[in-house]
Amino acid sequence: MQSALHRKSSQRARSWLPFWLILPTILVLLVVQVYPGLYTVWLSLHERQPAGWEYVATKNYERLLNMGLFAESVGHTIVFLIGYVVLTLTIGMAIALLLNRKLRFSGLYITLLYIPWVIADIIAGIVWRLLVVPDYGLLSGITQNPSLFPPNGLSVLTAPPPLSWFGDFPFPPAPAMIYLIIASSWRALPFITILLLASMQTISLEIIESSRIDGANRWQVVRLIVLPLILPTLAVALFSLTLSGMNGVGMVFTMTGGGPGSSTEVLSYLLYSIGWGQRQFGRAAAIAMLIAVVNWLLIIGTLRFSRAQESNQ
Amino acid sequence: MEQPMLASRRRRWTWETLLLHGLLVLICLVMLFPIVTTVIISFKQEQDVMRKPPVFLPCDTPDGAFDLAACRWSMEGYERVLAPKPANGWLFNFQLTGNLLRIYIPNTLLYATASALLVVTCAGMAGYAVSRYRFPGRDFFMVSILAITGIPLLTNLLALYEMSVDLRKAQLPFYDDRIFIVLVYIGFYLPLSVWIAKGFFDAIPLDLEEAAFIDGCTPLTALWYILLPLSLPGLLSIFLLTFVNAWNEFLAGYLLIAKNSLKPAMFGLYDFLSQNIINFQVVAAACILIALPVVILFLFTRRIFFQAMIEGAVKG
Repeated sequence: MQSALHRKSSQRARSWLPFWLILPTILVLLVVQVYPGLYTVWLSLHERQPAGWEYVATKNYERLLNMGLFAESVGHTIVFLIGYVVLTLTIGMAIALLLNRKLRFSGLYITLLYIPWVIADIIAGIVWRLLVVPDYGLLSGITQNPSLFPPNGLSVLTAPPPLSWFGDFPFPPAPAMIYLIIASSWRALPFITILLLASMQTISLEIIESSRIDGANRWQVVRLIVLPLILPTLAVALFSLTLSGMNGVGMVFTMTGGGPGSSTEVLSYLLYSIGWGQRQFGRAAAIAMLIAVVNWLLIIGTLRFSRAQESNQ
Repeated sequence: MEQPMLASRRRRWTWETLLLHGLLVLICLVMLFPIVTTVIISFKQEQDVMRKPPVFLPCDTPDGAFDLAACRWSMEGYERVLAPKPANGWLFNFQLTGNLLRIYIPNTLLYATASALLVVTCAGMAGYAVSRYRFPGRDFFMVSILAITGIPLLTNLLALYEMSVDLRKAQLPFYDDRIFIVLVYIGFYLPLSVWIAKGFFDAIPLDLEEAAFIDGCTPLTALWYILLPLSLPGLLSIFLLTFVNAWNEFLAGYLLIAKNSLKPAMFGLYDFLSQNIINFQVVAAACILIALPVVILFLFTRRIFFQAMIEGAVKG
């Protein structure tokens, strides 16, 4: 009798246990993720007045759409994202292919290549800024040479953007934007390389060797065997790069500060400068909503894609 | 007949590998070039930092020849960051009075350690629950966590800022911005960590626990004695990942903390940047000092690191 009772109570305790175990996580996430998330929606519909917050319905969004800098900033973000994703994926893929074989010192190479990722984004911004400080930066010594960059040499951080080809769309980008793309790729490259390499290493060597025996050349092996097999990982890489590029603000902060002019003013930086520079929290919250929606769409898209891949296999 | 063929094969192999190694060394050099330059700048004298045209190494003689013996290295950058002052009773009779080392880095150490420990605790508990139990709401919980992973810290920052202002005004007992920033870091790094922890627990076979139950363990004692030791590498990787992320985080630490004495190292660095617009050696030295701890930590624990990164990326 005693033991039956005991078992029953311990069973009940067991069935409640998982809820107790996830409770701390739920509480923390409610306080710092869910509540602020809803608060941001509320903020985007309000405007700060001396007396308090005033409900303005969708006025913040309308103002944003009518703001020239916002449209320009969307353009900068698109240019940045395309450049950043394409550059990082291409080089990451190339390095991963180089490392994907039995090789001495490959552990050492991976470790060295990985160091940029451990460095904070604002430090990376400073490090790259030091290279192109006008007149004194090491790379400025090259780019400001008039014989290499006619007519007057190029000062990366202060050169104005060239005339746009497509009306308001900021393309071709300013030198500072190109430099920002290169520096951001530099920091994301280690992670993407390791991710792709790990995925390549799950492909059995037998498949590759037998296809080599069947007469496939190296490029065919990559294109017909490696690439299709790592496609899901490529999707993950694409997705995480887009997210980090969209939300990362630290490098812009310490490297260009959005300048010269507004030529590196991406959306994440615009959110900061409208929110804390101009103290327009309502409008900044509207930008935050936009960024959050794009993030969610990306995540849903990636999940759909990986589910489709799983059901194919 | 067999001998020459083998030899030629071996030669071809070395030739190709040599090329490959050359290429990889080149890639490593290019990747590390910005960092190496910064390290060199941090040891330069002011007059060598402000050279036009710039020099890579401050090792040229007055007549323009390169001579390693003529290198002018200097600790000025570090001295200005650390501000050593003579003081009795301290190590080597010197006290380092720079704010970076005295205030900001200890603050960051506290925030990063506290959030990493708490993230590991929460993620370990939640990951265990989700991996071992089928309870109502489990799928909803995991999907919500995945959805929350999609909210970047940046977009929540406006609301978090307003919350931090209100909380400060409320003057709660024992409350200060430190509690809030650690809470924010936990909430921000937890969702991915729960997925990583679930993955690590899923990889541990159920048989072990069942044997423990037969021997009289309760679920909690089984978790403590059987699963925890086995999942330790996984939990350690979550700790390291969170620690480095929190250490490197800038915007939240900069905006959500009001008192200067509580601000983190990244704020100190940003402050240095605005004060030393032309003293690059000082800025570089501050960068090196702040980045060094996490780089060293990474070098010693890189295997655990890679594991968590891959796990997190594939799951998240």
